[in-house]
Amino acid sequence: MEFDAEELAALLELLTGTDFSYFQYEKGDVRITLTRGEVPHPQSTSDGDAPTSRRSRTTQPKTSAPAPISAATTRDSVRPDVVADDGPVIQAPMMGTFYSAPRPGEPAFVAPGDAVEPHTVVGIIEVMKLMTPVVAGIAGVISAIHVENGQLVEFEQPLFQVKTSA
Amino acid sequence: MSAGHRVFVANRGEVAERIIRACRELGMATVLGVSVADRDSMAAGVADRVVTIGSARSAESYLNADALLHAAVATGCTVVHPGYGFLSENAAFARACDAAGLIFVGPSAQALETLGDKTRARELAQGLGLPIAAGGRAGDEREVEEIAVAVGYPLLIKAAHGGGGKGMKLVTDQTELIGAWKTAATEAEQAFGDGTVFIERFASQARHVEVQIIGDRAGNHRVLGLRECSMQHRYQKVIEEAGQDLLPEVHEQTVIKGSLSLARRLGYVGLGTVEFLYDEERETVSFLEVNPRLQVEHPVTEAVTGLDLVREQILTCVGGSELATEETVDPVGHAIECRITAQDPDRGLIPSPGTLTRWRPPRFGYLRVDSHMYEGYRFPPFYDALMAKLIVWGATRSDAVENLDRALEQFEAQGFPTNLPLLRRIVAHPDFRKGAVTTTWLTERLEGGEL
Repeated sequence: MEFDAEELAALLELLTGTDFSYFQYEKGDVRITLTRGEVPHPQSTSDGDAPTSRRSRTTQPKTSAPAPISAATTRDSVRPDVVADDGPVIQAPMMGTFYSAPRPGEPAFVAPGDAVEPHTVVGIIEVMKLMTPVVAGIAGVISAIHVENGQLVEFEQPLFQVKTSA
Repeated sequence: MSAGHRVFVANRGEVAERIIRACRELGMATVLGVSVADRDSMAAGVADRVVTIGSARSAESYLNADALLHAAVATGCTVVHPGYGFLSENAAFARACDAAGLIFVGPSAQALETLGDKTRARELAQGLGLPIAAGGRAGDEREVEEIAVAVGYPLLIKAAHGGGGKGMKLVTDQTELIGAWKTAATEAEQAFGDGTVFIERFASQARHVEVQIIGDRAGNHRVLGLRECSMQHRYQKVIEEAGQDLLPEVHEQTVIKGSLSLARRLGYVGLGTVEFLYDEERETVSFLEVNPRLQVEHPVTEAVTGLDLVREQILTCVGGSELATEETVDPVGHAIECRITAQDPDRGLIPSPGTLTRWRPPRFGYLRVDSHMYEGYRFPPFYDALMAKLIVWGATRSDAVENLDRALEQFEAQGFPTNLPLLRRIVAHPDFRKGAVTTTWLTERLEGGEL
């Protein structure tokens, strides 16, 4: 599908006055991700099998003025285990059911734009009722989420993309 | 009955592919749990869905019961097939399958528990009138010495929870007895989590003969013939045969009737193998153990019965399929299987994994190759060395031997050492041609440098 610059401009116009830190728009095989706030640079996602567009955003309400919008697009044809070369990936340390929040209905452990430390819990993997916290293992900022809440994840499946300061 | 079921295959290698093939023919979808090392395996290529369970280490993948069950449930499976090895004889796993609402392809957890303890299996067999080797369980040194006197030397000390050659010690005279008993108990405790050992007479000139049984949920039990598996190296089978006259008639009737009574007492469901030793010097047969699962060597039975054992196993375990009422089946002709492994016969049969650069199994009639090999396959060093099972059939044993000889001659495998040269030498040996091989034959010849 052809990329429509006009459509993007209209979208940005529409979003300028609103309060958000993460926005994703999908049409055909084009995906547009907009981030604002903690993430100062354009980010891209490149997940295929694990769409993140329907995830609810659960970050704290913003009190500061909206930051400038940054945008990036990628073609949605890359497999999740062949992640683009834009930062480390947090992989599933075990196979099981992934939960993005401590309990149903609660905010997710992390959202795009959140800073993480190596010990930060980013999710939970359940194997036969046994819950194991998944830690980031690296310091940086969550730039993309490759997994849905409640999804069966395989051993070493990419869960999150992290942007490091280096 | 079979429609609507989805089967989780909790195994790898040739048997995973074999199970998937049987499921496909039954119209059942398959999900294969693999380790990281097996993502590119042939079985992964043919399964309807593949889930990576864990790392290459078996403990984190093929022995990771919780992860396998979780994957089976999460992918909507209704049946779990454990194959052979790994969790196939694990009573706790069978019970966990039941608890998770999954049909375990195998006998009940209770039967697995009984058969998993060789002393209990032995006592059960004895109680049903099956012949057992002289021996028994000993709790202290005095009892050990008493049993040893009654049994005579050489004798074997076996771990109650061992099997397939694991946890066995050969004692040739009285001076070794107590030391060997203590070592065996310690090793059994470490390896199997239970230090119970027992003593059995060791027959130095014996043949391994086993009986294939099957049971259904309606309580029918059948014997699907005998197999002879005396060609072993350190208790690992190398060549197996099925056909007629594997035992003198009177003993054949003893093992068939005994196996049926064991199956009935256990309410046995699915496939199982009752193993016996035939002592050629004493001309006696004795019960060894029951393998409550699909056997590696099941294709030789298929070759002489025309049955698809994996299909029958799945159908009897899933239920709704009742066996024919006759108790036994007459074999037609003779079949021989040999196990082609990644083991170097020039270096004491050490494992020799690597990348397979050439793989050309023979192609002609009366021949079957069960294998997960393909050219370019990187044979992983983490698991057992089995590469392929070559099965030949002939109207008579000598016809089958001729076919085997020809098949091995034509078999091409390159990239790393395999046991093919050794198999060729075995098949050319006059003792094998005559069928005059006992369980110690191969090990003795290898250690003596005669093969």
